[in-house]
Amino acid sequence: MRLLLALLACATMLPAQWLNLPTRGVPRTKDGKPNLSAPAPRAANGKPDFSGIWALEHPPCPPEGCGDYLGGPEFLNMGVHLPGGLPYQPWAAELVKKRSADQGRDDPVAQCLPSGVVRILTFPPPRKIVQTPEEIVILSERDVTFRQIHTDGRPLPVDPSPSFNGFSVGKWEGDTLVVQTIGLRDTWIDRNGSPITEAAKLTERFRRVNYGRLEIELTVDDPKAYTKPWTVTLKQEIVLNTELLDYYCNDNEKDAQHVSAK
Amino acid sequence: MFRQSRAVLLVMAMAGSVSAQRIHYPTPGLPRTAEGKPNLAAPVPKAADGHPDLSGVWSPDSRPLQVIAPSESIPFQPWSAKLTEERADGARGMDDPAAYCVPGMPKLLVLPYPYKIAQVPGMMLMLYEGFTTFRQIFTDGRALPKDPQPSWLGYSVGRWEGDTFVVETIGVNERTWLDNAGRPHSDAMHLTERYTRKDFGHLDMQLTIDDPKAYTKPWSVSENATLMADTDLLEYICSEDNKDVPHLVGNGPQPSH
Repeated sequence: MRLLLALLACATMLPAQWLNLPTRGVPRTKDGKPNLSAPAPRAANGKPDFSGIWALEHPPCPPEGCGDYLGGPEFLNMGVHLPGGLPYQPWAAELVKKRSADQGRDDPVAQCLPSGVVRILTFPPPRKIVQTPEEIVILSERDVTFRQIHTDGRPLPVDPSPSFNGFSVGKWEGDTLVVQTIGLRDTWIDRNGSPITEAAKLTERFRRVNYGRLEIELTVDDPKAYTKPWTVTLKQEIVLNTELLDYYCNDNEKDAQHVSAK
Repeated sequence: MFRQSRAVLLVMAMAGSVSAQRIHYPTPGLPRTAEGKPNLAAPVPKAADGHPDLSGVWSPDSRPLQVIAPSESIPFQPWSAKLTEERADGARGMDDPAAYCVPGMPKLLVLPYPYKIAQVPGMMLMLYEGFTTFRQIFTDGRALPKDPQPSWLGYSVGRWEGDTFVVETIGVNERTWLDNAGRPHSDAMHLTERYTRKDFGHLDMQLTIDDPKAYTKPWSVSENATLMADTDLLEYICSEDNKDVPHLVGNGPQPSH
């Protein structure tokens, strides 16, 4: 028993063997620590540079330390900070109640389907942003997948084939990248089971507040599922000196046969 | 009967012509001929640092069977030949990670689906339509790690040799297959990809597999690609409506060596 505890203690000290790779170009304070409140870096074209590995802001760790993957509250409930919660249409409120009662067994991610356009921003495993003059790519550690946001000036397509990530275009308004997304499939946007439908139009306003913080103000306009548009801010904190791991949902997947989605 | 099959053929032909409803948008910066068609023979574009710019959406020229090379051209060790033979009749289909929607390296390189390269300072980012997955190839001068944690995609660094971009990859776990024919590898596998953009529209790639435990000598295959003008990748969701898994037999992905 003592041996087991010792092993467990060791295991928690080496969670997932994170890669230790010094992040380059980190601004430092006089005593050599990362200066997270330094100004946001700029790309070669003068625009703010969102590049980096980001994790959703989470509550402070307990005294015994943090676990591997820290979820922010919006991962569970996108409306956690909205007075009265998300403005569900009656059917959507019923659906969320049922999905919560079913402990999320019909959640697409339980079947290793994509987390989708919203949850790629809230999943506990981190995400990495790669920025070129033509696009922003969001690389997701979960399932080693990606989402593209085109910033080359193209318009939204008229009737895109519905997909989990939809079709996203972004344009700069000063130092804020305003991203519009359509062409989504019906899917879940939080663990509670809040839906979005194919009618959804998303607006995200990406702003790198300083070196260490990226804020994504997300507005969901989906009159089929919600009585009015709603807006939440997803605050992301930079993650230094590491790299994304290979996290394949289907690797040694044992859950699906037990969750029996209907 | 004849009429019916004609109807079927017609439907199939239509399906082919609207296959997958690719997005249409003129690729910015793509050179055009006088009549407005993409000029794939135009010169290679250059990145700000003077190296060729490999960025673009690329379609592999010919990988219909997702088989990396004919068996007679592969210098198998006895055990890797035997394992390939055992896998050939489908009796171990469940051992193929891709059957579970986990592609792995280097099988990702022999898929028939388009891929997109985004060349940015410090990294060559490879976005693959197949499995909607990506690889990061670090170009910031870092060395390959000495003993990386084995993973499905391994750890990749890239450098320029003249106008050829050379990628080296190690640390691929032993459960991946080289291709659909089930060619295995060991933990000693060292992959080298050499990408050369011949002109605006053509990208040549040579892959060398150096794995002395599994193969008696290093061997190479070529996988060339053509630029896909005026479009972009689609979302490919392997796990969706995957009906294969219950029919597969075998033990599940196993270390091959």
